[in-house]
Amino acid sequence: MRALTYQGPYRVEVENKPDPRIEHPQDVILKVTRAAICGSDLHLLHGLVPDTRVGCTFGHEFTGEVVETGREVSQLKKGDRVVVPFNISCGTCFYCQRGLTGNCENSNPASDVASGVFGYSHTTGGFDGGQAEYVRVPFADVGPMKIPDDMDDESVLFLSDIFPTGYQGAEMGEIKGGETVVVFGAGPVGLFTMKSAWLMGAGRVVAVDHVPERLAFAAHYAKVETVNFKEVDDVVLHLKDMFDGRGPDVCVDAVGMEAEGSRAHRVLGLGLKMEAGAPTVLTWCINTVRKGGNVSIVGVYGPPWNFIPIGTAMNKGLTLRMNQCNVRRYMPRLLEHIRSGRVDAKAIITHRFSLEQAPEAYHLFAQKRDGCIKCVLAPHGHA
Amino acid sequence: MTTKTQKTKAKAKSHSKRRREAMPDRPIPGAAADLEPSSRPGVPMEMEAQPLAGARAPIEPQHADVPVFKHAGRKQMPPVFGTAQPPKGLSGVLRKVAYGYPDHWARHWMVLLVADRVDVWEHRLRRSLPWGPATVAALVAGGLTWRRLSRA
Ligand SMILES: [Zn+2]
Ligand SMILES: [Zn+2]
Repeated sequence: MRALTYQGPYRVEVENKPDPRIEHPQDVILKVTRAAICGSDLHLLHGLVPDTRVGCTFGHEFTGEVVETGREVSQLKKGDRVVVPFNISCGTCFYCQRGLTGNCENSNPASDVASGVFGYSHTTGGFDGGQAEYVRVPFADVGPMKIPDDMDDESVLFLSDIFPTGYQGAEMGEIKGGETVVVFGAGPVGLFTMKSAWLMGAGRVVAVDHVPERLAFAAHYAKVETVNFKEVDDVVLHLKDMFDGRGPDVCVDAVGMEAEGSRAHRVLGLGLKMEAGAPTVLTWCINTVRKGGNVSIVGVYGPPWNFIPIGTAMNKGLTLRMNQCNVRRYMPRLLEHIRSGRVDAKAIITHRFSLEQAPEAYHLFAQKRDGCIKCVLAPHGHA
Repeated sequence: MTTKTQKTKAKAKSHSKRRREAMPDRPIPGAAADLEPSSRPGVPMEMEAQPLAGARAPIEPQHADVPVFKHAGRKQMPPVFGTAQPPKGLSGVLRKVAYGYPDHWARHWMVLLVADRVDVWEHRLRRSLPWGPATVAALVAGGLTWRRLSRA
């Protein structure tokens, strides 16, 4: 089959590799119909995630059609259309039983810091991802959700990661009604965090970014106020001033380890690798949020450490909440939001490509050129 | 007793009023649709323990015909894992060393990062091998032709 493969930092290509096969009785093989490129794929592309092996196929946001089933699979059959959570979750371990499928302990031998994830290096289990013609999906009766007949794949594609992740980001902010919320990062996850904050009854929502097109998109799509941190002297003071000098009730980090905004962190984290990327946004969150407020982290950071002002967080009495998203539990409710028209998830797709054009898509997305918000690949055509 | 209840009620009422006032009049369809925590799928964060729909136990252990590493802080292999890009070459040796350390040791990650760079160089070298002799041959042939042509 054809598949996107990693060739080293900043280099991906599409090449032939063997078709995936059933390796466990609970596996299915999917023919991939849509595969999105995620902001966190850029951390892989840039060589920042340990144990990203040459030849690795990325892609953890995809929909597909079942073409082969393992002998223990009972809920899916050939021809079913499904959307698949990025987490690989067994459904029976200590964590899965409590709904924490993002922390499953039965799918990743390489590390205890994450569950198995599709196409996300060997640090998350060494599974190939969905930016290919076919993909192996383990625990097929637990994770994948059948796509309703009256809905197309693109409408539900983002239930695989970014909509649930954004929603959980707002949820961890513990909004009770009327709160002020600042979302750092107007990328796809940030956009869904903003929408979700409104759904939970936030009183005021502000987006912070530095890409003018993205801020304009956020203002239009999520009806938020916007702040371009490159256009203000000191983003922390600016935001505090916007909220009575105290700061907002909730700050959400929807950026993670490749943040702009601090030369020091970029040199230390991305240049010298003395910390796992640049925790600039997390630092801003801690400094900006009001005392006693909530900081919610959905941006991805790598092991083993980062320089963050934990003493400030303690002295301000903050609640810090974070996790990989437990995608499966969010799918039914968020499907309702999509279906009812409250959230038009598909509307954030700005670019569509064939699988062969994937390297071009990566570079366009990484450089945020051409107003790019979200790229979607169609490995078997856009029909 | 009555006054206390009344006070509490009045307090609750003014609180909910304040909330409603703070609620925005935004053109977001369905704003506050998930105001009730019970409508949020992730609340409470930990649910009462029970197997998820569709889950099957015990899970049959997967077999692999390629080496798959487990970090030293983990007692046994999980029942399911990926088998993509098995380790090979010098990068494979380095990765084996890295997985000999538990994942809360910094050196586990540092050795992996080094192995990643070695992997890229090994791959480039392997790719250039069949081209190397061909390029040399082409250059030699080209040089000879050039010399012959320039003499003529
Ligand atoms: Zn993603
Ligand atoms: Zn599990």
